[in-house]
Amino acid sequence: MHKTFSTSSLGPGGLDLTEAFFKPIHSAAPPSPTKRHTKISVIGAGNVGMAIAQTILTQDLADELVLIDAKPDKLRGEMLDLQHAAAFLPRTKIHASVDYAVTVGSDLCIVTAGARQIPDESRLNLLQRNVALFKGIIPPLARYSPDSILMIVSNPVDVLTYVAWKLSGFPSNRVIGSGTNLDSSRFRFLIADHLDANAQDVQAYIVGEHGDSSVALWSSISVGGVPILSFLEKQQIAYEKETLENIHKAVIDSAYEVISLKGYTSWAIGYSVASLARDLLRDQRKIHPVSVLARGFHGIDGGDVFLSLPAQLGRGGVLGVTNVHLTEEEAQRLRKSAQTILEVQNQLEI
Amino acid sequence: MLDLQHAAAFLPRTKIHASVDYAVTVGSDLCIVTAGARQIPDESRLNLLQRNVALFKGIIPPLARYSPDSILMIVSNPVDVLTYVAWKLSGFPSNRVIGSGTNLDSSRFRFLIADHLDANAQDVQAYIVGEHGDSSVALWSSISVGGVPILSFLEKQQIAYEKETLENIHKAVIDSAYEVISLKGYTSWAIGYSVASLARDLLRDQRKIHPVSVLARGFHGIDGGDVFLSLPAQLGRGGVLGVTNVHLTEEEAQRLRKSAQTILEVQNQLEI
Repeated sequence: MHKTFSTSSLGPGGLDLTEAFFKPIHSAAPPSPTKRHTKISVIGAGNVGMAIAQTILTQDLADELVLIDAKPDKLRGEMLDLQHAAAFLPRTKIHASVDYAVTVGSDLCIVTAGARQIPDESRLNLLQRNVALFKGIIPPLARYSPDSILMIVSNPVDVLTYVAWKLSGFPSNRVIGSGTNLDSSRFRFLIADHLDANAQDVQAYIVGEHGDSSVALWSSISVGGVPILSFLEKQQIAYEKETLENIHKAVIDSAYEVISLKGYTSWAIGYSVASLARDLLRDQRKIHPVSVLARGFHGIDGGDVFLSLPAQLGRGGVLGVTNVHLTEEEAQRLRKSAQTILEVQNQLEI
Repeated sequence: MLDLQHAAAFLPRTKIHASVDYAVTVGSDLCIVTAGARQIPDESRLNLLQRNVALFKGIIPPLARYSPDSILMIVSNPVDVLTYVAWKLSGFPSNRVIGSGTNLDSSRFRFLIADHLDANAQDVQAYIVGEHGDSSVALWSSISVGGVPILSFLEKQQIAYEKETLENIHKAVIDSAYEVISLKGYTSWAIGYSVASLARDLLRDQRKIHPVSVLARGFHGIDGGDVFLSLPAQLGRGGVLGVTNVHLTEEEAQRLRKSAQTILEVQNQLEI
C-alpha cells in the first residue's frame, strides 16, 4: 500500500485496517503480466498541463497518470486536488514528482512545460527559452520510456516537436506535435456556429505552422459531406477571397484573444490533447491535423521540418498522412509556412 | 467562454453563453453559485462571511427572479451560512436550496480509506456531516467498505484502535483543503467533480444520497433555529427528497448539535 497522504494516521503506527480486510481465495496466483496498463505522463503542471490531466482523468483514458514539474509545492497541491475527487471518478493511480524516474514505462508523454505566451508575443519569440528547457526534459523522458509516444504541446509547437525528435532519438512516427488540431477545432466551431450545426459534422483542416502562417484548406471543407466552396458556386453565392482570409485570421487571432482576456488558454487545448491521446492509445486510426515530419509532402524539401498535416493516428503513432488534395495556391502557402519554420529552426543549436 | 467554445470539435454540442447581466440565466434548471472571496491560507471559512453576504445580496435575488423554479446550489464559503442566506434571499422552498457542504470532505475521507486499503473509493461508504469546516463530524459508526462496517470489523478482528487516531484521520480531512490551498493557491479540480456529481444526480433524478448542506432543523435534536448543515440527503429532480435516517451514536449526535450551534452563533450576527 503506498502512502500518498501526508499523515500516518491510517497505516502502521496509526489505524491499520489492512490486516485481514480482504481475504484472498484458494489457489489464487499473482496477477498475470499484462500489456494493458496505460500510463500517461504530463510534463508541466501549469494551466495547460492540468487542463489536459483533468480531461484525461474525466474521460478515463489512463490507468496511471503522472505529473512532472519543477515546482514541488504546486505539483503536490495539484496532485492532491485530483486525488480528492476519487469518489467521483474511476480509479486511476495518480503520482507526481520532480524526478523523471516516476515516468518510467509511459505509453504517452505529453510535454506542456515552457514559458507562457505573453499577450502579443508571437509564438516564435518563446523559442529560445523553451529549447533550453527541453534539453533537460526530453532526454530523461526518452531514457525512462524508450517505447513511448512523445506529444509536444509547448509553443512554438512545430519547432519544439522537431527539437524533441532530435533530442529523443525516437523514430518520427512517435514524435507528434499538437499542432493545428485546436486551430481546426476553432475553425470548425466558427463554421458550425454560423450554420447552427454540430462542429463534429464540419470537416475542415487548418494545416502548416501552428501560428501566423497556418493554411486554411478551404478547398476541402465540407459540412455533412457537402463541400463548401462548390456549394457556394452552385448556389451562385458570391464570396470574396478576402472574406475567407478574414475568417482564417479570426481563427489565428482566437488564441491571442483568449490570452488577452483570461491570461492564458487551457480548456480547449485540454480537450484537444485528450482527444489525440485517446485516438492514439485506443488505436482509433482517426485523422487529426497534427505536427508531423513533413519532409517530402506537397513539395516540402528544404530540410527536416515538422508542421501540421492531416495525419492518421493510432497505437503506433503517426500511421500515415492523408493524400488530401491541395490547390496550387494552398500548396504554395504550405511550402511558405514550412520555409518560415525552417528559417527559425536553422538558427538553433541542437 | 471562448476557451470552452473552442473545444467544440471534441465535445457534444452545448450552447455556451456568458454575461455580466443575469438576464441570460433566465429559465435555468440549476443555478450554481461559486462567487465569493477566495479563502486565504489559514483564513477560517467563517472569516470570509461578511464579504460574501454583501455579494449575495446582489446575486441571489436576480437569479431567483429570472429562474423561479430553479434549484439553487451554493458552493461559496462558508457554505452552510451562505446557503441559509441564499434561502432567505431567494424565497425558495428549502428543498430547492442546497449547499455543496461536506460532499467533497466525504470524498476526501473515502479516498484516504480506499487508498489505505488499495480499494476503490466508490466502495467506501463514509459520511462527514455537519459544518463544512472545523466542526464537521465524521460518522465512524456508519463507515463501511463493500458493506463491511469498519468499527465492528476492527472489534471482531480484535484490532485495537485509539479514539485519538480516528480524530487524527478526521482532522487530516479537514486540513486537506488548507493543504491544497497552501500548495497551489486554491482548490479547483476536486470541487469541480464533486459539484458536477451533485448536478447530475439532481437533474437526472438519480435519487442518490449525498452529504450536502440542507435545512437541518428538526433532525437529531437540532432545534436552535433555522440552520443549514450537511446531512446525508437523497437528491433528485425535486431537489432534496429527504434526509436519510442514519443512526448516530449519542456522541456523534452531540457533536452534530454542537456544529449546528457553531453555525447559528455566526449566523445570528448577520443582517438579512
